[in-house]
Amino acid sequence: MINYIIKRLLLSIFILFAVSILLYILIRLIPQNFVEQKFASQIAQGVIKQEDIDRMLKLYGLADSIPKGYMKWLSNVFHGDLGMSFNFGMPVQEIIAKDMWISFGFSFVATILQFIIAIPLGIHSATHQYGASDYAVTIFTMMGISLPTFFLASLLLSVFSKSLGWFPYQGLVSSKIFEDSFAGKVDQFFDMAWHLILPIVTLVILSIGGLMRHTRTNMLEVLNADYIRTARAKGCSEKTVIYKHAFRNTMIPVVTMLAGILPGLFSGAMITEEVFAIPGIGRKAYKATTVGDIPFIMAYNMFLSILTIIGTLLSDLAYALVDPRVKITK
Amino acid sequence: MENKDEELKNVNNVPAEEAGAEEKPTENKKSVLTSLKGWVNRKLGKDKDKSHFISAKDSRRIQKENFKIMREYEARKRRKNVPEEEYLDEMRDPNNVVEFEDLNTWFFTSAGVVKAVNGVTFSIPQGATVGVVGESGCGKSVTSLSLMQLVAAPTGQVIEGSKIRFRSTVNKKDENGEFIPIYEYETDEEGNQILDEEGNPKIKTQVKKDKKGNEVKGKDGQPIIEKVQAKDVNGIPLYETEEKTYNVAKMPTEQMRTIRGREITMIFQEPMTSLNPVFTIGNQLDETVLLHTPGATKESAKARTFEILRLVGIIPENVYERYPHELSGGMRQRVMIAMALVCHPKLIIADEPTTALDVTIQAQILDLLRDIKDKINGSIMLITHDLGVIAEMADIVVVMYAGRIIEMGTAKEIFDNPMHPYTIGLQKSKPAVNKKVDRLYSIPGAVPNPINMPHHCYFKDRCDRRVGKCNGDYPCMIDVSPTHKVACHLYYGEENK
Repeated sequence: MINYIIKRLLLSIFILFAVSILLYILIRLIPQNFVEQKFASQIAQGVIKQEDIDRMLKLYGLADSIPKGYMKWLSNVFHGDLGMSFNFGMPVQEIIAKDMWISFGFSFVATILQFIIAIPLGIHSATHQYGASDYAVTIFTMMGISLPTFFLASLLLSVFSKSLGWFPYQGLVSSKIFEDSFAGKVDQFFDMAWHLILPIVTLVILSIGGLMRHTRTNMLEVLNADYIRTARAKGCSEKTVIYKHAFRNTMIPVVTMLAGILPGLFSGAMITEEVFAIPGIGRKAYKATTVGDIPFIMAYNMFLSILTIIGTLLSDLAYALVDPRVKITK
Repeated sequence: MENKDEELKNVNNVPAEEAGAEEKPTENKKSVLTSLKGWVNRKLGKDKDKSHFISAKDSRRIQKENFKIMREYEARKRRKNVPEEEYLDEMRDPNNVVEFEDLNTWFFTSAGVVKAVNGVTFSIPQGATVGVVGESGCGKSVTSLSLMQLVAAPTGQVIEGSKIRFRSTVNKKDENGEFIPIYEYETDEEGNQILDEEGNPKIKTQVKKDKKGNEVKGKDGQPIIEKVQAKDVNGIPLYETEEKTYNVAKMPTEQMRTIRGREITMIFQEPMTSLNPVFTIGNQLDETVLLHTPGATKESAKARTFEILRLVGIIPENVYERYPHELSGGMRQRVMIAMALVCHPKLIIADEPTTALDVTIQAQILDLLRDIKDKINGSIMLITHDLGVIAEMADIVVVMYAGRIIEMGTAKEIFDNPMHPYTIGLQKSKPAVNKKVDRLYSIPGAVPNPINMPHHCYFKDRCDRRVGKCNGDYPCMIDVSPTHKVACHLYYGEENK
């Protein structure tokens, strides 16, 4: 088991290496770079001369060829320096370390809610297949899948913030001063939670559908299995049949989804954060991508690659945990 | 081969001419012209039997009606706290364990009602092995599933008026609805019962102890004395029992669950998939014991599991902690048999128990089934399409075709003197070692479409001995001997001879 994990981790070094090369090439191939984009109007007006631009390019390291630039980036990374963000003017590590937790916080709550709601719904609609409740659940969740994020977010904003005025429009905190005491901290926490309700609802509605369909399909398949008939023939109650004999088997494929959840937790929800103006990492990444902030994009995507690799490893290990037929050797 | 075909045609021609208008005389007189016509029609897709297709409108109407019927049946099964009198019954013959009487199990599909089991009547005597034979889709499995109430709901339903009487042994209840324990009686050194002053046997008593073995003291500080309940070898407490006859067809699922797995158990065809892959063998066997034995603990359940595993020829220590995928097919089928035996059932339904196993294992499993049947004094309902298995195992044979019994009798009668043309055909189509044949016989044609069955004999169109009467109503059962019955027009009037 430990050997297996070590082997997988060693292997992932090579994967990360390859990912970083690909990423760097792709970013550098974007036709417009940060400097040209930033000073586009000045160049057009002729305020800045080409020599200045060239000097700037050199300063930002954009004048180097792709292999040379990559080697520079790589050696900096080995020295523990992910570089200075072009756009935010701060070391990339600091931005990620600071903003990651905001995104993680509300993604985590949304993911937990998603599991709590979607799995029982999936089981319910599988056990009541073709019943009225099955159709209702299926239609509701399909609507969730089909709605674009920005549309649903604006819809919620329009109804609950504009018309009803229950929730704030955007941001993470109200523009007021909180007392520097325990009561003040609690107050601040609830204020944040109040701001995050709509984004969380958006994320949950959007993601329930997939997990619910997944659970429903697996449950239906498992309920047709021979061993379920055996369990019924044994005299098990319907509850035991579903929640003991079928549930464990239904969860085996759902575990695969673990691999996708871990990076999703930290990566932030780009569009949702943008619409609700939450200063999370997703919003930063969105901005960085649009302006061509190479150090940030590299660091952010490498961070996600690492999380994806860990997520896949965890889901493989979880497989062995839930399915006795899977054995991990070497 | 050609001669045989001509013979067949001649045989087919006789009833066709006798039948007159309904039969198409051209069917067998194939001239070049008709065969050409047939070819053209086939190419144009004209010869498709229109009766197999229904319009979307009809389908919707059928579905709507079905939905209503299914909902009614499902609601009836799901009822809670149904008075027992509603499904109590009396056995016609007290020697029987199960009596099927006019069993109808229908499937309400969107294409119409499929009468998978259509008026089946037979019984399973105590200690006997009843073999049910027939080709795929003849309703043999559905018959057994009806007895277990395991027909795929909601489409499949046992129709009202069907009777499945089952002689059940249940724990006796006192006025408070609690089980009455059997107590141990005090004996002297020679094993004789000690009588109290009134002359009744004296019940053994002991000081009540809690789980840690400490004495439990009453309010007055004196240790509490309790009666000792009798236990079996595995430490499972015993209760007084009584016999009741239930009509399974009317029983709500809630009550049925106490019979499933305890008194009627099932061994399925596919040992590879019939065990839950994520639980250990021990867990799955213990679950059955714990479910059906009041007062059983984990330890006593494990002891019972070990006992049963030894009975089916498995060393329990090797298997108890294993998962199903770590065992071979034969071993898994043994585990399935163990699971079927673990509560000492009255009837084991073996639904093609050897079909998925290779031949050497088949023989072992059949030997095992025969062995255990004698040991537990139970009955076996053996469902198979393998006449060899039936010949080896069964005391009574029931032959089914298209949802109906067409012939039944003792194994000797069915094998020495098969009467129904279908039974004869089945036996002819079985490979035999001592006979030399060019080709194995196969019954011509296929099983008829189960929707909207005609009123005449279902086997008529495939039968090589049909007569004019075959176009009439479905033949009723004729008693050839007290045990031998056949449903065929050929033997009408024979019972009087």
